[in-house]
Amino acid sequence: MNNKRSKFHAPGTLVLVFIFLLVFVTLYLANWVLLTQIWSVR
Amino acid sequence: MTTERSDFRTCPVTGFQVHLAAQKLIITNAVTAVIFLLIGGILALLIALTRWQVVHLLPADLYYRFVTAHGTDMLVFWIVFFEVAGLYFGGAVMLNARLVRPGLAWFAYGLMIIGAVMVNVVMFAGGADVMFTAYVPLKAHPAFYLGVILFAVGALLAVCLFLVNIVVAKSEGRYSGSVPLVTYGLIAAAVIALFTLISGAIAFIPAFLWSLGIIPYYDPEAYRIFFWGFGHPAQQVNLAATVAIWYALATLTTGAKPLNEKLSRVAFLLYILFINIAAMHHLLVDPGLSTVNRIVNTSYFMYLAVLGSLIHAYSIPAGVEVAQRAKGYTRGLFQWLTKAPWKEPGFAALAVSLLIFGFIGGTSGVIQGTLQLNMIAHNTLRIPGHFHATVVGGTTLAFMGLSYYLLPLMTCRQLVGRKWASLQPYIFGTGIALLSLGMMWAGIAGVPRRTWDITGSGSALGAPAYQGVDFSLAVMGIGAVIAVIGGAIFVAIAVSTLLLGKKTISVQRSRI
Repeated sequence: MNNKRSKFHAPGTLVLVFIFLLVFVTLYLANWVLLTQIWSVR
Repeated sequence: MTTERSDFRTCPVTGFQVHLAAQKLIITNAVTAVIFLLIGGILALLIALTRWQVVHLLPADLYYRFVTAHGTDMLVFWIVFFEVAGLYFGGAVMLNARLVRPGLAWFAYGLMIIGAVMVNVVMFAGGADVMFTAYVPLKAHPAFYLGVILFAVGALLAVCLFLVNIVVAKSEGRYSGSVPLVTYGLIAAAVIALFTLISGAIAFIPAFLWSLGIIPYYDPEAYRIFFWGFGHPAQQVNLAATVAIWYALATLTTGAKPLNEKLSRVAFLLYILFINIAAMHHLLVDPGLSTVNRIVNTSYFMYLAVLGSLIHAYSIPAGVEVAQRAKGYTRGLFQWLTKAPWKEPGFAALAVSLLIFGFIGGTSGVIQGTLQLNMIAHNTLRIPGHFHATVVGGTTLAFMGLSYYLLPLMTCRQLVGRKWASLQPYIFGTGIALLSLGMMWAGIAGVPRRTWDITGSGSALGAPAYQGVDFSLAVMGIGAVIAVIGGAIFVAIAVSTLLLGKKTISVQRSRI
């Protein structure tokens, strides 16, 4: 188990992955907001 | 077991047994690819300086002609010729195997080059101002369609030869167990290419007959469905090949190994199963397709393909991190990254292309491929902003990075201008990032794609107002200039190495 842990120890990449996810979620939500502003529901 | 006696040499750096017939084919296909990259790059500069409304360089007729030629030379000829070189490398050299039927491979090359030259002659002569997509009922000269068909048949033959090569290499005991991951990725690319090229044939053969007048009518929607069965999957071939090359570059530059090779192979499998179906996103505003069809194809199937990319996007940098930590770079979260070989052209190309592909191309691709969001992006400059980040910032830059190793290995010559090679990925990547972001920014303001003029000059309807696009189009134009400089540096290094590079070893022939 310990061997496995050290083999797959990549915490820096995990941080990079979360930065990527944050960027993606922000852009994705921003696009939905943009869509609502173009076709607003009255 | 073959009875053929073949000439090999041993590479002193990698230890690969290099089949000389394969070597010649790899060099020829790669050099041909670079020639088309050069043509396409010159056209890119002229087109960008026209879309940059303040400069507006070309007249309308030349603009549309050059957009057609730029798209075809870059998206098809540069990339496919290079991919064929990559297939022969992955299917023969990496397996220490011979290339089966080199004569057929030369025949495939002949068909491809005849087709590519035919298409270029027709395009530059003004016989095919139909853009890359050649949507029916826009009609080009029959030689244009024939050229595309010849090229596709040649490429199909090359792909089949690669697949046969894998089987023959196994039967001759050149490798045991499964193929290396890089070759596996290339097999995924080849399988997608089979579907892609067949779909292209279904689109283009009737178009050829229609252009000759043999078929009186060609349904535009039918053409579009089959064309995009070719057009987007062709980019998925690039994606699979690019990811395979990323794994290769990570190993070559840092000694990285995939964290979980089986998972990486499953991720390639996800591409094969789902990525072609997701190509439906090109037809989101077309009539005749049900909403269910659109949503299932562009959402759920696309997400499964994207899942494959996410697996690779974690696996490759994590592999680098593990390799770097094993070398002792263990301080904090990012010492492995700061101490990475950033001056190594292959690593620079890997890092920059991965960054642009993921953060700009990947995010925008998922967003623009979502049915509802596509309605605010469709046919705007956001779309080319997306695919320049994936195909140019991702694929082309990864191919350039691999070339810095492939060229010395295949030509037995030292790389000329190594310092420039170290800088080139950063210059090219900066240019492409600016180009893509400028395009997307202008597209958000509503600027349409492909259009020669956005001021509405000569139009009775006047021009729509695009807020603040002068700045975003300037960013796009400046990015294009920087990217073209980066591309020119790559071409100069490649040509110089080929012609002037110092010989590293004499080719030693051995019989096996």
